[in-house]
Amino acid sequence: MLKKLYHQFASPKTYVVLVDKIYPIIFYTSLITYVFALIWGLAFAPSDYMQGNSYRIIYMHVPASFLSESLYIAMAIAAAIFLIWKVKLAAYIIKAIAPIGALVAFLALVSGSIWGIPTWGTWWQWDARVTSTLILFIMYLGLISLHSSFTNYEKADKFISVLVLIGSVNIPIIKKSVDWWNTLHQPASITLTDKPSIDPSMLYPLFLSMLGFSGLIICLVILSSKVQIFNREGNKTWVKYHV
Amino acid sequence: MFKFAFTDLNQFIYMEGHGIYVWSVFSIVIISLVLAFIFYNKQLKKIKRKHSNE
Repeated sequence: MLKKLYHQFASPKTYVVLVDKIYPIIFYTSLITYVFALIWGLAFAPSDYMQGNSYRIIYMHVPASFLSESLYIAMAIAAAIFLIWKVKLAAYIIKAIAPIGALVAFLALVSGSIWGIPTWGTWWQWDARVTSTLILFIMYLGLISLHSSFTNYEKADKFISVLVLIGSVNIPIIKKSVDWWNTLHQPASITLTDKPSIDPSMLYPLFLSMLGFSGLIICLVILSSKVQIFNREGNKTWVKYHV
Repeated sequence: MFKFAFTDLNQFIYMEGHGIYVWSVFSIVIISLVLAFIFYNKQLKKIKRKHSNE
């Protein structure tokens, strides 16, 4: 039964049918949550005693930084699934996530740079966190261009999956960079083990903005994965009936 | 918790001189998200059109 379930959910057709059903729910819930969180964070949260109002960039920067790492972890899981069980859908998901990951890593870098002007006095610093995030952005771009350079998709999928797994070593480096090195970037304000160092009046909209932004990015991954599936499985009859 | 943090709308936009940074990031994030959604929806429409012509 488990094998049957596994085969069913590993099928691109089942995936498309399932995501088509859940997409509107995720999209509208996330959109409302994100808009509400931004209004709360930008207009109603109190100003910070040290950074003044520039800290409000946190409501756009932290969700983007969090997602840029989370999407890479998702790609690494998909790469392992593809290499171990040869699930084609996992390879399509890797290709679908890469451009979205590049976009959110870019947003994390740009928002961080703009935030750096009033707080650090410079828009760029070769700081451990900033540099490791830049490497992550370059890795996303590299994966996109490498996959496109192959004419044989199967070879490309295998090669990219191995590269994604090797590149995943950068994720703990990004996460721990603020602890391992003396950096300008502040240490994590929210951790799984300690009490958050942010006041609840600023923390709640931050959680909501992370939730809403994550949902919208999941929606983009769904759209991108559908494009990948329809392009790669275009000759199959179910695709012709489904689109 | 839901008390407007500024005295008026002008202060909200100006944000004690930080508005330029905050609103720049806000615009970049929102425009990027909107463009990404438009891009992927257009791609899907293109695929649909291609299949309906076949």
